[in-house]
Amino acid sequence: MSPAAGEAAVVVRAGVYHDSVTLMRVSRALSDLPGMDVALVAMATELNLAMARDLGFDPPPAGPADLLVALRGRDVAAAERELDRLLAAVSSARGPSGSSAYGMAGAEGPAPRTTRSAAARAGEDAGVALISLPGEHVLPEAVDAIEAGLDVMIFSDGVPVRQEVLLKRLAAERGVLVMGPDCGTAVIAGVGLGFANVLRPGPVGVVAASGTGAQQVTSLLDLAGAGVSHVLGVGGRDLSREVGGLSAVRALRLLDEDPATELVVLVSKPPDPEVARAVQEVVESLRTPVVSALTGRDDLTEAAERALRALGAPVPGWPSWPAPARRPPRPGAVRGLYAGGTLCAEAAAIAGGAPAVAEGKEFVDFGDDAYTRGRAHPLIDPALRLDALARVGPDEVALLDVVLGHGADPDPAASLAPAVARCPAAAVVVALVGTEGDPQDLHRQAAAFREAGASVFVSNAQAARYARDLR
Amino acid sequence: MTLLSGPPHVVTAGVDLLREALEAQAVPTTPVDWRPPLPGTAGALARVLADPRRRAANERAVDRLTSSRPLLVGVRRASELLHLPQPMFLHAGPPLDWERASGPMRGALVGAMLLEGYAIDEEDARARLESGVVRLEPCHHHRTVGPMAGVVSPSMWMFEVRDDVHGGVAYCSLNEGLGRVLRYGAYGPEVLDRLGWMDHVLGPVLSAAVELAGPIDLRALAAQALQMGDELHNRNRAATSLLLRELAPYVVNAAPGHAAEVLRFVGGNDHFFLNAAMAAAKVSADAARDVPGSSLVVAMARNGTDFGVQVSGLGERWFTGPAGVPDGLYLGAYGPADANPDIGDSTITETAGLGGFAMAAAPAIVRFVGGEVADAVAATRSMYEITLAEHPAYQIPALGFRGTPVGIDVTLVARTGLLPVVNTGIAGRVAGTGQVGAGLVSPPVEAFTSALLALAESALDPFDQ
Amino acid sequence: MTVGTRPRRPHVHATGAASTAVRPLLDAPRRAARVLAAFPAGAYLQVRTDREPSVIALLAPGATRLPNAVLLAGEPPRLTVGDDASVGDGAVRLGRLRLRASRWWDPAPPLGAADPAGLREAAAGLTPGEPALAGEPAVELLASGCASGRLLDVLTAAERLVGLGPGLTPSGDDVLAGLMVTLRLLGAATGAGRAVWLADWLAATVTYDARARTTPLSATLLHCAALGQASPEVAAVLRALAGRGPLEPALRRLHGLGHTSGSDLAQGIAIGVRSVLSCRPSRRSFPSRECA
Repeated sequence: MSPAAGEAAVVVRAGVYHDSVTLMRVSRALSDLPGMDVALVAMATELNLAMARDLGFDPPPAGPADLLVALRGRDVAAAERELDRLLAAVSSARGPSGSSAYGMAGAEGPAPRTTRSAAARAGEDAGVALISLPGEHVLPEAVDAIEAGLDVMIFSDGVPVRQEVLLKRLAAERGVLVMGPDCGTAVIAGVGLGFANVLRPGPVGVVAASGTGAQQVTSLLDLAGAGVSHVLGVGGRDLSREVGGLSAVRALRLLDEDPATELVVLVSKPPDPEVARAVQEVVESLRTPVVSALTGRDDLTEAAERALRALGAPVPGWPSWPAPARRPPRPGAVRGLYAGGTLCAEAAAIAGGAPAVAEGKEFVDFGDDAYTRGRAHPLIDPALRLDALARVGPDEVALLDVVLGHGADPDPAASLAPAVARCPAAAVVVALVGTEGDPQDLHRQAAAFREAGASVFVSNAQAARYARDLR
Repeated sequence: MTLLSGPPHVVTAGVDLLREALEAQAVPTTPVDWRPPLPGTAGALARVLADPRRRAANERAVDRLTSSRPLLVGVRRASELLHLPQPMFLHAGPPLDWERASGPMRGALVGAMLLEGYAIDEEDARARLESGVVRLEPCHHHRTVGPMAGVVSPSMWMFEVRDDVHGGVAYCSLNEGLGRVLRYGAYGPEVLDRLGWMDHVLGPVLSAAVELAGPIDLRALAAQALQMGDELHNRNRAATSLLLRELAPYVVNAAPGHAAEVLRFVGGNDHFFLNAAMAAAKVSADAARDVPGSSLVVAMARNGTDFGVQVSGLGERWFTGPAGVPDGLYLGAYGPADANPDIGDSTITETAGLGGFAMAAAPAIVRFVGGEVADAVAATRSMYEITLAEHPAYQIPALGFRGTPVGIDVTLVARTGLLPVVNTGIAGRVAGTGQVGAGLVSPPVEAFTSALLALAESALDPFDQ
Repeated sequence: MTVGTRPRRPHVHATGAASTAVRPLLDAPRRAARVLAAFPAGAYLQVRTDREPSVIALLAPGATRLPNAVLLAGEPPRLTVGDDASVGDGAVRLGRLRLRASRWWDPAPPLGAADPAGLREAAAGLTPGEPALAGEPAVELLASGCASGRLLDVLTAAERLVGLGPGLTPSGDDVLAGLMVTLRLLGAATGAGRAVWLADWLAATVTYDARARTTPLSATLLHCAALGQASPEVAAVLRALAGRGPLEPALRRLHGLGHTSGSDLAQGIAIGVRSVLSCRPSRRSFPSRECA
């Protein structure tokens, strides 16, 4: 590769670690500097080193615990200064962290390096550990949390199923709950962990084996004025034969004991039959009524409606802002570009396409492991979906989800709405999952997508039906 | 507080964005400053942490380490205490042969040959050592520890330390003082003369005095000394004074004729207590040995060539890496070029929660660790990250009488990449030079990673039960 | 913060955890407000409205969480008494600062069902602390009236206690707040309908003219207490009394509140617990069951 114009620099900062989302944000900020062509700031994994080489850099030898900085543009020195400023800001926000070999000696001492140490530092206040490390590094921190008596939410995916079973067994022995892995959602007494919506407190407790599925149900409940006590995301594999519903059963019992919870909604993919029987037995033993929503069998909107009826609350008409198609699409040609796996499956079941991971198929879940390895979740990083939107055929309908709430892109319309406007599709339909309390402002987001020419629905099922039926 | 009873305080590890989202919700968080584990250890860590024996094994091992009660019960000749068939010497660190031995180790071995009369002169001593007729075995294989070269030969007098709780026993030679001494590889006439005096005067007198005094509680002495500014590895001034105060009347009673010279010798050597502290640390660490499934480090030792560790759950196996050259302050005109790689069994003090791990207790010697008291406090604090317990008896006034970090866990070293902080003396690399400085040394990472990989191989599978 | 600064500079966005007690104020159309009190850990805002709640507490994390509080995610803004503000349309606006709720918490968390026998046992651990109105005849009358079920005594005592004592939250109001919350929540939890009925009467009596008789903050807090809304410290003690957690640490935290506020609230709780226990539990419609 020939060197591009401007200065270039590639350096490795040994032993400097930041998480991938932070570095993505830093890279993006540097790329936006005037005159900057390339700014890659990432941990020096094989993947990232290869990317640097592809970009024409010649990185020195380094490992995954070192920071790789590759810059090319008009003023590389200025970019490096900006990099230092950004990283310093991140570190100071995170509290005291090590600059010397043993960390700085603040009043509290050097920042804790393990969950065990952090739990000890937090003392009896500590309640939950939220772990969002790469999957292969989750186990030690989760074991620490369980042994310290903390409940654990494992946001990460890529945790081997054997490790999941092990952690859930340990948690059962210790009397704590493991939420996740591969479940982005939990809300504990209003506190959103991971991807979560701002929900009003109320009587509905949710046990979910699906993150975005739970977000859809709870957002609809909130829009209908029904509150939520807690959302316990138990992990996408929890109700599989291997895991046997270990966390779902524990979560159901916890909600049954919880005085704030009057109704439980169980959101899951259809479980393994044996596990389903065991869970059903537990459900029948509870004092609290349970509404089950098995995705693929029931749609999530129906589940929310059944929960409302069980509470004796009226079912509202779900807000929607349909727009006419730009031109008649080829019948049934719906291309789903999803960030949420369960939402994708639900839409595919309704609109007809087979859910599939491989690009080029009709429904793609960009939140799947295959797309998130080495990059942030599409709820945070829109890049892959922006590309995909540009490649939808002119006789097709593009159907996508936009999920609001804590942890998600602070303004998804800022990047996605222009892409929707430019999208060559015959029509674009957006399932906008969120509440009026969400930081992104549901109504402003809806307006932005409407102005870009999309139809907007707060119910994913309704969005999928609308996309399917467009003529 | 149970999970659902209210908004939780959250410990976060991973994506900073998710911690920010919690802060925006006015939720208190304690973030983990997480880094990737040492290269190549992620799989092994998962296996070791999944070993169903680990937690209980580590609890038991570290409890035995911290509950031991070392008493000085005697001072006796090595030939009485140890089985040392002639010609055989003990040495510091993991196993070593003459060929790989460093300058100071060779010097000390030559000195021991001369001291014991196994050779007529230096040249003869070297030839015999080179020929392999002299057996060399690590002190650690004989319930013994030795500072620096750590060479123990039959005529040397040893502290005999018994663990009153677990019943173990450990030995360490008597300290010769600073400057040109055998343990730093010097073997000139004044070195051998001093050893001769120790053999004929110091040893017998101390032996009689300790017998008169009855068992001396070393744990209590060490605990007091920590509150008087010692860390019991590179500073032993307070502990030596305390020991002297205990022994002085009995020394006078036992040998009025030699009392003055013995007391002067002990009182003139600020490190005299170090050897007793080492034996005490050794007997405590040995109590924690051989707990199946435990990832606790029970020995760290250097022979001037290799740095080795032993782990409770892995028996007598050594896991080694090249000994590093200490970073520190040099005496007189000496400099880093004169320094030998790290040497000695004195890292048993760090293994037992003293030395570098107790740096915050010893502001007087902070120049070894960077110059500021804050550096010493940071060094100690960082060691809580890799240790399983806080010592119930050894406390640090500057940390609000918090117990010293004790019980190095191999898995925590691999997870944090934080290596044990080791204080040490620096030996001259040329045999016979003696001490050239003192400072801090970093153990080699591979000693810990290879121990972890071995633990992973021997780990039980939780699904096999 | 200066009054009337033109909003030329961009907004500073801030977030916090808001009590659902103040959701009506935040969700309503924007109304004027002013800073009623300012202190290092936060400030109280009074909203121009005839209805309660009318005062919002903006508090730094770690401050006592009043039932009308928004807990700030960051440092509290520097405010001066009298500063102009506005509340409504989803936000609190203070000069350049625009504060939104990033989560909601329930100041009246349900206690679930509680067993009166367990409550009797737990109540033995209710140590008195040092309430400011110890020995005050109106408090004694309130206590005896609650224990015997003499409504007239209870309401007479309550009339005398509203606004009694110095400070932003007079001790008399704290005692009444502790009592009303306890009667309502523990009464519901144990099925003592008579206690809830008493809470209703008390609520009507003390909120009727509270705005004329006590401070604006205290009037809002009495309004909250009348609905069963309390600070989490009070809720934690009630939860412990209902058998859902250890009492001693919860009580210790409660006693630590304010100068005497914690002990005053605890005094009200103790009176409420005795009243609940004196009622024969029944789940029938009230006021049909009798008190001892």
